[in-house]
Amino acid sequence: MPRADVVVIGAGLAGLSCAAELAERGIRVYLAAKGMATTHWMHGGLDVAAPDGARSFRDGIRLLAAKRGHPYRTLATAAAPAVSTHLARMASAGLEHVGSLDDPMRHVPTAIGSRRPAAMVPSAQAAALEPWAGDGLLLIGFKRYRDAWAPYAARNLEHARWRGGPPKIRAIEVELPGLNGLHNIAPQILARMFEDAAWRARALSAIADALPAGAWRIGMPAVLGLDAHAEVHADAERTLGHRIFEMASLPPSVPGLRLFEALRRRILTLGGRIQIGFDVVRVERSGHRITAIHTEAASRTLRIAGDAFVLATGGIGGAGIRASHDGTLTERVFDLPIVAPPRERWFSDDPLRPHPLETAGIEVDANLAPPELENVRVIGSALPGMHYLDERCGDGVALASAHLAAHSIARARTVTA
Amino acid sequence: MNATTEVDVVVIGGGATGAGVLRDLAMRGIRALLVERGDFTSGTSGRYHGLLHSGARYVASDPISARHCIEENAVLRRIAPATIEPTGGYFVATPDDPDDYLERFPVACAAAGIEAERVPLDELFRAEPLLSREIRAAYRVPDASLEPWELVDANLASAREHGAEARRYTAVIGFEHATDGALTAVRVRDERSGGQTTIACRAIVSASGAWAGEVAELAGATLAMSPGKGSMLIFNRRLTTAVVNRLAPPGDGDILVPVHTVCILGTTDITVPDPDDAHVTRDEVDSLLRDGERLVPGISNARVLRAYAGSRPLYDASDIGDEQQDESREISRAHHVIDHGRRDGVGGLWSIVGGKLTTYRLMARDTVDAVAASLGVDTPCRTADEPLPSPASGTPYWLGDRLAALEADGGGNAELICECELVTQRRLDHALDERGDSSLDDLRRTTRLGMGPCQGAFCMPRAAAVLDSRRPGAANASLRGFMAERFRGTRSIAWGDQLTELWLTAGILRGTLAVGDLADPPADAPEVARAAS
Repeated sequence: MPRADVVVIGAGLAGLSCAAELAERGIRVYLAAKGMATTHWMHGGLDVAAPDGARSFRDGIRLLAAKRGHPYRTLATAAAPAVSTHLARMASAGLEHVGSLDDPMRHVPTAIGSRRPAAMVPSAQAAALEPWAGDGLLLIGFKRYRDAWAPYAARNLEHARWRGGPPKIRAIEVELPGLNGLHNIAPQILARMFEDAAWRARALSAIADALPAGAWRIGMPAVLGLDAHAEVHADAERTLGHRIFEMASLPPSVPGLRLFEALRRRILTLGGRIQIGFDVVRVERSGHRITAIHTEAASRTLRIAGDAFVLATGGIGGAGIRASHDGTLTERVFDLPIVAPPRERWFSDDPLRPHPLETAGIEVDANLAPPELENVRVIGSALPGMHYLDERCGDGVALASAHLAAHSIARARTVTA
Repeated sequence: MNATTEVDVVVIGGGATGAGVLRDLAMRGIRALLVERGDFTSGTSGRYHGLLHSGARYVASDPISARHCIEENAVLRRIAPATIEPTGGYFVATPDDPDDYLERFPVACAAAGIEAERVPLDELFRAEPLLSREIRAAYRVPDASLEPWELVDANLASAREHGAEARRYTAVIGFEHATDGALTAVRVRDERSGGQTTIACRAIVSASGAWAGEVAELAGATLAMSPGKGSMLIFNRRLTTAVVNRLAPPGDGDILVPVHTVCILGTTDITVPDPDDAHVTRDEVDSLLRDGERLVPGISNARVLRAYAGSRPLYDASDIGDEQQDESREISRAHHVIDHGRRDGVGGLWSIVGGKLTTYRLMARDTVDAVAASLGVDTPCRTADEPLPSPASGTPYWLGDRLAALEADGGGNAELICECELVTQRRLDHALDERGDSSLDDLRRTTRLGMGPCQGAFCMPRAAAVLDSRRPGAANASLRGFMAERFRGTRSIAWGDQLTELWLTAGILRGTLAVGDLADPPADAPEVARAAS
């Protein structure tokens, strides 16, 4: 029966980062999650804090920390060390990033041809950052790859008021070799194909043949390899003679898969254990402490005991918080108290506007501990008080809360020892 | 810009009744033109529960209507088999349902000509294992599931074959009168171009259902409609294989209809002042689930995909003029053809109100009988005899057919745009070949795009890109309209998995794709500002 110093529940950016940091401090971790999380959905850049009007991520953190009930009120100081630790962790896995908390907020084009604010992105998205300095934007789609919409995106971007943007925008669609017989191609399939050097040479040659003359930065689907991503990206830039940036589209997100894989390997290398695919079905509690969780497993339940527990189940989006038809919100692992707006105010009328219900989360103190449970910490999107999509702060809060929780658990262990 | 057209009859309203009237007129050789302010089948006909009534639901409360239903049920199975899935139906008595109704039911069915066969309970539960074990009696009746979009399209296609015309996104903005008050023309506005047209005509049929009061008022007549809002819930799968009704006088949450891959629980009945009020309240959802629990215990925990409401074309019976009474004795209380010439001195205008989708053809026949007589046309109605044009397969839509067709041609160049409903790019292209001016929401009605569990999260941007390639610049407004339309139906049932799904949708559309930031290119062909929903 597994036993760990710390049991982390949830495999999103928060849970993985917290487990990695604990493992880096020599603490035995066991990460259990019912499924893959937001890493697999999102664009792969880091949303640290980009509310309207933020001039940089640091400025964004400051603006959000001033909002009543926002997680950054307690996490603002943890953000900087958390982000730099994360970037170092990514770099050691071959996933270099560019940008800093003080870089000016810029925009990168999205797959549909809108722009989202960005200040910290993987190297393979760096070419998308302003200023464009006279380079044109060439969007490349692949024929029969249904999740790249280069002509549509180009048309939209041409009409965007884009200060510092490219002087000209073009779109081409290229027929990649060897896709005959494949249908409904998922991005990770193409990513694996790009890792095959022989196929890649033919694919890049097909793209090169279709390139219009001019000085371009090329935006293409985010499928430039998984494990060998850095090599694939460099080879593509070298072969095509232009800088290339990746654009994430519908899930699954290949940049997110790379991030997930880097953190997973980090945890395993440091002796941590990871179990994905099973729900927590029962918990054991003794006074103000949790002593074990039980997860579903093959043909039986599995008891996982621990000294401390980190809840990183992702709020409503990660199904860590469930609503029932009568409007009751329940935290599904420990049945913790939830902070949420009244049901009449859950939604705005416009699906493109933030919904008040997005601020729902688990009530915690300044140490991220829920009421009445001293060895539990809550991190990531399960925290209340934020609109992580519109404030573009989900990744920053995940990293900062994971860092703070790991820090406070490690300190408590030192004190106890 | 003011063009003029001339026809014999203008039909107002592109739901089942209007389409049926248009077909009937055309088949009698009367030149007719139908105008619909939104998309065809976007009003009450497209927002109903999908039940082809046997009539058993009305045997006690409305025997005339019951008889109409069973007769038309047989007619539609004959003329439109591809729009009907012959699921069969049950009437089941729960402990809450009155004993005397249980006793009267078979007698009343027999009197109305409806076959109602008593079903042993063990047989019922074998066939429908999710039904409540508290059910104490059951009858089998010839209910079925009916696809309204295909039915309306088939009527319009038949009408066109007979020389009629139908225009969508064409709103009536006024009428022209002769000195004696009779109507001589309809003024319409193209909702997309804004262009206005005057259509000279000899007669006008208002088949505008719950909106008939507004149309009558515009023509200077009066008609007191009393729109009844009916709300329904769509579950992500079939909970029963056949239609299930409560063996009780019609009430809320007492019918469950399997439709394609889903099932629909209906309906509430609330009188609303505004027929455009399609807002489903939390009380309605709660009430539907509470009553649904009596049929299928645990239904409250099943996954609801969306909630929607339609406006029943109910009229205030006390408002029907006295002079009509004599000749309308033979006309059912269920539907009513109103001659505004006799009643209000507004000659040349007829309204058809009341009725049910199941009886749309009969309503059309009665209306056209009256209009044809006034035009001196004595050609008899043939709509019950001539089958409607049907899809190539000639069988009801089944999701598996789409999969089989994809497999049969090896997948072809047929990328799936909507994975839930297996809508390929080719199918979208075909729909746009047929109706190039369609919005994404219009495409939904033709192809079922975005109607599955994800409610468009994945297919909306893909389909927007397809639309953009066909009509550059038109896609963004359409995408936003479709998002708003899908959201309207999910917000009142946003709990459990569907709430998490909504958050995934938001993550994709607001987070990764930042749809809110999209700048709008000038459109070649502007969308209609008011998205029909």
